[in-house]
Amino acid sequence: MTAPDLDLGAVAPLCVVAVGAALMPLLDVLLGRTKTFLSRPVTAAWAGTVMSLATTGVLSIALVMCFDAAGAAPRTFNRDHPMILMDGMTSFLNIVILIGSLLTALASGKFLADLAINRGEYYALLLAAVLGMMLLVASTNLMMLFVGLELMSIPIYAMAGFRRDSLRSNESALKYFLVGSFASGILLYGTALIYGATGTLSLLEIGARFDVDDPVLLIGSGLLLVGLAFKIATVPFHQWAPDVYEGAPTLVSGLMATTVKVAAFGALLRVFQMAFGPIDDLLYPALWVMAVLTMTVGNVMAIIQQNTKRMLAYSSVAHTGYLLVGILVGTQVGISAVLFYLLAYTFMTLGAFGVVAVLAHAGRERERIADLAGLANSRIFLAAVMTICMVSLAGIPGTAGFMGKFYIFRAVVEQAIATESSSLLWLAVIGVLNSAISLVYYLRVPMVMFMREPEPGPEPDRSGTFEGLVLAVCAAAVILLGIWPEDLNLILTRVDVLHWASVASASP
Amino acid sequence: MESILFWVFSIAAIGGALGMVGTLRNTVYSALWLVVSMLALACLFIMLNAQFVGLIQIMVYAGAIVVLFLFVVMLLNLTGGVMGAEEQPLLKFVGVALAVAVSLQLGSILLRIELPWPEVSPEYGTTAEIGRALYTDYLLPFEVAGVLLLAAIVAALAMAKRERG
Repeated sequence: MTAPDLDLGAVAPLCVVAVGAALMPLLDVLLGRTKTFLSRPVTAAWAGTVMSLATTGVLSIALVMCFDAAGAAPRTFNRDHPMILMDGMTSFLNIVILIGSLLTALASGKFLADLAINRGEYYALLLAAVLGMMLLVASTNLMMLFVGLELMSIPIYAMAGFRRDSLRSNESALKYFLVGSFASGILLYGTALIYGATGTLSLLEIGARFDVDDPVLLIGSGLLLVGLAFKIATVPFHQWAPDVYEGAPTLVSGLMATTVKVAAFGALLRVFQMAFGPIDDLLYPALWVMAVLTMTVGNVMAIIQQNTKRMLAYSSVAHTGYLLVGILVGTQVGISAVLFYLLAYTFMTLGAFGVVAVLAHAGRERERIADLAGLANSRIFLAAVMTICMVSLAGIPGTAGFMGKFYIFRAVVEQAIATESSSLLWLAVIGVLNSAISLVYYLRVPMVMFMREPEPGPEPDRSGTFEGLVLAVCAAAVILLGIWPEDLNLILTRVDVLHWASVASASP
Repeated sequence: MESILFWVFSIAAIGGALGMVGTLRNTVYSALWLVVSMLALACLFIMLNAQFVGLIQIMVYAGAIVVLFLFVVMLLNLTGGVMGAEEQPLLKFVGVALAVAVSLQLGSILLRIELPWPEVSPEYGTTAEIGRALYTDYLLPFEVAGVLLLAAIVAALAMAKRERG
């Protein structure tokens, strides 16, 4: 027996996050026992800040490592039996995931203290979930994909139910857990069928051995897609999203709407790229219908929501639809557009959820849209950030959201002209119409903030230093990505997704 | 010798299953009969040179899962009356139908088996071979599964731990 040919450097950022996840509960205990070192015990809020900063530190180290790896050649961990691929696309998605979770971790300290759920497990769970996401986008093997998916999901189930005394938080966790378990089961069943039909779990091998006439393989592929579709919340697998986002602590909802979605989309892109090439034509009609339904249902349902978090949940469903359009194009340009969109979407959605989270006060979250009334008078900074995010989500020029939509629809139209496909052209038309519909509910939020008188009640809390910093970063990134999309993309991620012909390096 | 053991364990497995169904009114007995059936199955696996699957069968099924069943039964104090399959004829019908369907499926698979069996290496399925695969080809998922268990423990703690002070 020979030792496997390992490349530990390839998984260094993953190791950092894993070690962080393992040490975080220890730090929690140590902070509770500092009485022996210091003359007085630390307060819970202080301990929470230390935990949140430590988590941010761990994530920044991983971020720097991913940034270093982004320029290098593709690597894998075990060269004899590759399970993951650390190429440009993985680095890019890892960086997006790390930025999103880093901002969340930084804002979590005061948020958890405000809701009186300042428990150290939160940060350990956050880091474990981040590790799962990073593995999910890197995996080129269905076994790795499944383990990564579970490692991402299980901590998030618990984080959704982190407010144990809140019935809605419990409901959110239970719903997410049940739906997520079903999705995992469906995905696993699909994996088993694919393995039975092809005798391999490697995505590249599956793509090479794909027999388009084998019903077992087709059913397996369908089940795999449905399992992932649950995670990214496409219609008709989206019904859990509003309830879950509404009940979960707001920052956790933000995490679910951004990084979790980025990770699941990364896995979806890999599966399409490596394994499902032979059945592109078969999948096209199904995905076309799914994309149209997802955009339309998301936008129409968002209009009638009174709760900001539910509105953002349906908005995130609608954005899943736009992203599916990019995947449907199937060209390199389409994939580049999807990747850029994920980056832009992360900032604007995190910013919007961040504002709602800052409004949390004394254990109550103010989350009706009506609660935002008059915010421009009392908290102009929060109102400004929220406005920037809403304008960007609506896709108005000068913002990241516009550039994201522009790249996606440009890719669609180019491909439609190149292949003379009228269905693709229709897809672009429906997408643009949907953007117009979305203006109705996105612009209602600034209107309420600037033009309505505030309801009598306690003043909203001041945002803490770190929360303010996070919101400022989100707002700045949204605007700058809208003005200099290419430059800022390069600065943030070092991976030039917009001009990169070979985002999908198929080797090793 | 081997065929005598095979018959002993097979009869024990089937007997355990029948015993489980026969004692449905007392769920604790029923779960214990399930253990008998599981243990006999584990012995059959070991005789088939699948030691690892056999041991896992004992540890996971006869051990962990049945203990979980017993916990639930005892904590919720479930008795035959509460379970009440006999009061719901539809459930009974579905159960019988499922049993028949599974038996037919298994039977059809048995009829289709082509002899002789394909050759496999003598190490196939042994603990050593599985360990080798886990620590070489599947090293990364194996290690990540460890982190997953840690995350699950922390998640359970976060859900169930009593508040300090």
